Amino acid sequence: MDAGEKEPIENMLQAYGRRLEFRDKLKRVHQQLEADSLLAAPVVEPRAQVRAWWQAHRSTLAIAAAVAIMTTFATIILYRSYQNSHKQEQQYGMMMRTMGVIQQTQNKLLNNLSGRGRVFQQNPGQVAGSGFLLTASGFMVTNNHIVQGSDSVYVQSQQGVVYKARIVHSDPQHDLAILAIGQDTAFHALPPVPYSFEARPSELGERVFTLGYPREEIVYGEGYLSSGTGFRGDSAAYQVAISVNPGNSGGPLLDEKGNVIGIITAKQITSEGATFAVKTSILLNALQSISPDSLKGDPLTLNRKNRMVRFSRKQQIKQMQNYVYQVKVFKH
Amino acid sequence: MRETTRLLSTDEALLIGLAEGSDRALSQLYRQHYPMVSQLVINNSGSADDAQDIYQETLIVLFEKVSAGDFELNCQLKTFIYAVARRLWLKQLAQRGRSPLIRANQFDEEPAESIADDLADHQRRDQQFDQMAESLAKLGEPCRTLLEDFYIRHLSMQAITEKFGYTNTDNAKTQKYKCLTRLKRLFFSSYKDTE
Repeated sequence: MDAGEKEPIENMLQAYGRRLEFRDKLKRVHQQLEADSLLAAPVVEPRAQVRAWWQAHRSTLAIAAAVAIMTTFATIILYRSYQNSHKQEQQYGMMMRTMGVIQQTQNKLLNNLSGRGRVFQQNPGQVAGSGFLLTASGFMVTNNHIVQGSDSVYVQSQQGVVYKARIVHSDPQHDLAILAIGQDTAFHALPPVPYSFEARPSELGERVFTLGYPREEIVYGEGYLSSGTGFRGDSAAYQVAISVNPGNSGGPLLDEKGNVIGIITAKQITSEGATFAVKTSILLNALQSISPDSLKGDPLTLNRKNRMVRFSRKQQIKQMQNYVYQVKVFKH
Repeated sequence: MRETTRLLSTDEALLIGLAEGSDRALSQLYRQHYPMVSQLVINNSGSADDAQDIYQETLIVLFEKVSAGDFELNCQLKTFIYAVARRLWLKQLAQRGRSPLIRANQFDEEPAESIADDLADHQRRDQQFDQMAESLAKLGEPCRTLLEDFYIRHLSMQAITEKFGYTNTDNAKTQKYKCLTRLKRLFFSSYKDTE
């Protein structure tokens, strides 16, 4: 019981006691030193904090920066490859027609035209599209993408008569171009245009039709208005479910009553039956921005009276086809 | 005390003084290294109280090592204190769920391995002492006071006999022995529980 050898528990108790004692002693020493103000206050380094923070987090920041850079470049590369694979040109095909393929059919045309067709013999036009008269005095509208970069622009009526056209105005943003053929001596003013221009937005599902020149002959096509906006939400255009082909570009888009509601410009290659037409309201805005000098004195006043409202479709087409022209453009 | 007249300048002299329980040595040691440790703690998002706790803990590590008599200082005392304090504070920060990153210049000659061992010993002792405190609390009166009086407050058996009103010291010793046996049982049962 009172043996000389101590049990481990006794040793531990004593060690525990020493620990408590020493702890108390330390507290006393601290209080004493503090009371005698012998403890130097530590120097706080505020400036070193930023540096130290940087040193502490440097590796994290480096990794974050590396990830950010890699993400950025990966995004750019992915976006590029996406763009390449979905090129806008591929998706959004402008409906102009290259003329190389139609050279063979020109002979027929040349036979009918005394001399006036010679120009095509010498230098076959490179691209072709459609256009239609705005006024009986010879102003017409077509797509800018047909006439841009052109040396000369000719228009050919449904009867095969060719007129030299002058570009009065072009609006690359909305892909519109205004031509004038009134200066050509062969041009005789026509009766007033039978259609009027409808600037108000048309309703979805509106039955629409178009006339154009996807080949040497005028071609009729019909469909319906499928969306109030164009390619990628372009509010300046309609989406129309109508079958068009290269050469239809610049053709008029008319509603059932024969009001022009738009101008055919393009179609989406990747999806079936998505054709785009620039809205008439955009055309009217473009007309207003033409400087009077460009008009060379001829007033450009649009027809307001639609004379085809009660006509049957066949009669409407018959009325209209004299006002829809094929546009042929020569480029170097 | 003997040392009070001696100038305690070297680390060795200070440590001998510390082991002998000299107040002067402790006071001098305390003064000498307190600014270093408090700066370490305060510059690493600690308060002055944290600094005091960490420093005292560090000195406990030192004291217990010195008292055990097997202390071999294979670096400067300053280095040892700094290294221990830095690790203790790091642990504390980790326990608080703070960033374990600490800005402190590590001394080159720091004997990392032996300090890690020292701290492992310290942690083990800490655990034992915690269990001891717990067991003592469970022991209940009068056993607890009796044992504390004898082993911690170093009262003589005679004083304890008088304090507790035992008839003689043998009676007190028997009582103490019984208490110690109970404490042993409590302590080792909880010791096993945690293992």
